[in-house]
Amino acid sequence: MNLEFTDEQRLLAETARAFVDRQRDGDDPWPAIAQAGWAAPLVPEGESAADAGIVELALVCEALGRGPVPSPLIATRVLASLPIYLDGTSEQQDRWLPAFADGSAIGTMALLESVSRDEWDTPGMSGVGRLSGTKIVVPWASRADVIVVATADGLRLVETASANVQIDGHDGLDGEPLAAVTFDSTDAEPLGTGDGGVTIAVVLDHAAVARLAYAVGAAERALELTVQHATDRHQFGRPIGSFQAVAHRCAEMRAEIDACRYLTYRAAWSLEHTTARSEAVTTAKSYANEALRRVFMHAHQVHGAMGFTTEHPLHRFTRVAKAFELSYGSTTRHRDRLATAMGLGPNV
Amino acid sequence: MDFAFTDEEETFRTELRAFLDAEVPDWWSGMFVDDERAMPFTRELCRKLAERGWLTMAWPTEHGGSGASVWKQAIVREEMWAREEPRGPQYMNLNYIGPVIMRFGSPDQQSRFLPPMARGEVIWCQGFSEPDAGSDLASLSTRAEDCGDHFVVNGQKIWTSYADAPADWCLLLVRTDPTTPKHRGISVLLVDMTTPGITVRPIDTMAGPHEFNEVFLDDVVVPRDCLLGELDHGWDLVVAGLTFERVGIARYARAGRVIELLVDYANANGLGHDPIVRDRLADLHARYEAAKVLNYRAISMQAAGEIPTVEASIARMHNTQLEQAVGHAGLELLGPAGQLRAGDRWAPLQGEVHRYWTRNIPSTLAGGSLEVQKNIVAQRGLGLPREP
Repeated sequence: MNLEFTDEQRLLAETARAFVDRQRDGDDPWPAIAQAGWAAPLVPEGESAADAGIVELALVCEALGRGPVPSPLIATRVLASLPIYLDGTSEQQDRWLPAFADGSAIGTMALLESVSRDEWDTPGMSGVGRLSGTKIVVPWASRADVIVVATADGLRLVETASANVQIDGHDGLDGEPLAAVTFDSTDAEPLGTGDGGVTIAVVLDHAAVARLAYAVGAAERALELTVQHATDRHQFGRPIGSFQAVAHRCAEMRAEIDACRYLTYRAAWSLEHTTARSEAVTTAKSYANEALRRVFMHAHQVHGAMGFTTEHPLHRFTRVAKAFELSYGSTTRHRDRLATAMGLGPNV
Repeated sequence: MDFAFTDEEETFRTELRAFLDAEVPDWWSGMFVDDERAMPFTRELCRKLAERGWLTMAWPTEHGGSGASVWKQAIVREEMWAREEPRGPQYMNLNYIGPVIMRFGSPDQQSRFLPPMARGEVIWCQGFSEPDAGSDLASLSTRAEDCGDHFVVNGQKIWTSYADAPADWCLLLVRTDPTTPKHRGISVLLVDMTTPGITVRPIDTMAGPHEFNEVFLDDVVVPRDCLLGELDHGWDLVVAGLTFERVGIARYARAGRVIELLVDYANANGLGHDPIVRDRLADLHARYEAAKVLNYRAISMQAAGEIPTVEASIARMHNTQLEQAVGHAGLELLGPAGQLRAGDRWAPLQGEVHRYWTRNIPSTLAGGSLEVQKNIVAQRGLGLPREP
């Protein structure tokens, strides 16, 4: 047991934070992210090089969340690269993995349909023959070169340049581009055999951790803004942070963000080192969903009306946290999974 | 980063569990019970732990320990706290009274006080709070007059657990200089509890008859060689000691055990598929994991040679609120019979959840109130200004 970072991890986090600090609104971060090597294939379960694991990806995502710097990193490296690494033929791997790694291609996965409760639902879209139907809330579809499509009959690869793919952008919550993707007798190639359920579960666990880290970074930045405001803002002749009612909200933010952060690191570590990985992920996700609500309500309360304006940056972080909460499983869904892992209601 | 115990540590945990399964009797349910068997049992268990080298295993060898890693010590704390701390009062010796003496004591004090602790033969209590000095501990007024080769102490302490055990010694906070601002002018004395002039009065609580005491000090003579650390600079010892204390108790471990009891109870009573029961217990489990990982974070910092003052407060905020949440949700699960206490044949889970709820009503007060922990996090951790 040792929860301290290695020197390499510390350096990576510092490098990623410096990168985020240099970003300006309107910059496309993707070429630089790829150039830094942060988009290299994610190799699960301990096979990866030290700088290519999910813990390291979490550290990069945490830094990006501090911007926030929306990027196709999670979509490409987790949602597309990981299933192709796990299930792809060598031809499919050779075609996409190097292109993802060097930033020349962007990928994503289409899971949700209009009737889906969340990403863990079995897809309804048929995968027999050509694809027809609509997937919604697909991240980065508007810039993707390839989409991994989850169907009732397994995973399929669809190139967006091919005919009969219509992409309609949603107005997303947190700056990450989302789209509805409609297929109409669209050509698709199979990715792997079987229904793809095991691979999807691995991908979702990794995606949940990466998004969690991104949300933790956003929360950390929101705390910094909140402390700054509580220090600078004077009422009744004193900084409002000297009132315990305000200071204690800030302390609760610190305590909750730390819990989310270390549950995230534990979940990331578990993905590489244990077989109980889903339990650690589901614990972190169910905890953070609610904890981050509390964190951001404290942030807004301390900021006063200014925090509700779009002139102040707080809203960008609040949106990241809510988008995170609504993605990859609700509190209710994860608690139900966790209850089963705890041994409640056996033999069902 | 590594979130796993080593194989050697896991083997040690297995051995320790086997030992405790054999040695801790079914009737044991913690210290604060009206049961004459409790104190002799803890003394006997500590002697046996000492024989195996498990009592002070994390202490350095020159003080009777075996220099074990802080992680092995964490395993001991988890296994003990999960079983309602069968070491009784002596966990305090190991976790912070001993370490404070190691850090601030003279060589003579170390050789005098540490070996009996390492052998499991001595009960210590701590005289901190006073009737008018609780959260504002530094305003304490128990006076020790410097008479050269000895001090004369007059005043009163309160909420002194284990004083009626009876304790052999007391780590006593006193004011030695009433003319300086309050954090200065405080000293720490090591006081023999058999000294004339000391009176102990137990205070009954909701948890039972032996949790708290008042300690009255009336012209108590304390030899000068029992002054710990520098005269008038005792506050540094307090800060270090309280940090050790906050990390030193694996409070989450008992919460985890009670959650397991509740899972078994739910399954045995057809509630394992009830969506609300599942939701509540999973929520508690996630909070338990959060508290645990934050304790591990603080221990990691200790292992790296840092003093995790803010991080210990954060861990304690999570620990104590978890304990209370588990008590409340547990009793809700048991329903009306949750009112029944140990000894009633109809009490669900032998009244254990009831007892757990009761004893954790003050857990957000002991060792620095929840509000004090938040002040530490806000001021030391976040740099927010103090109240004027």
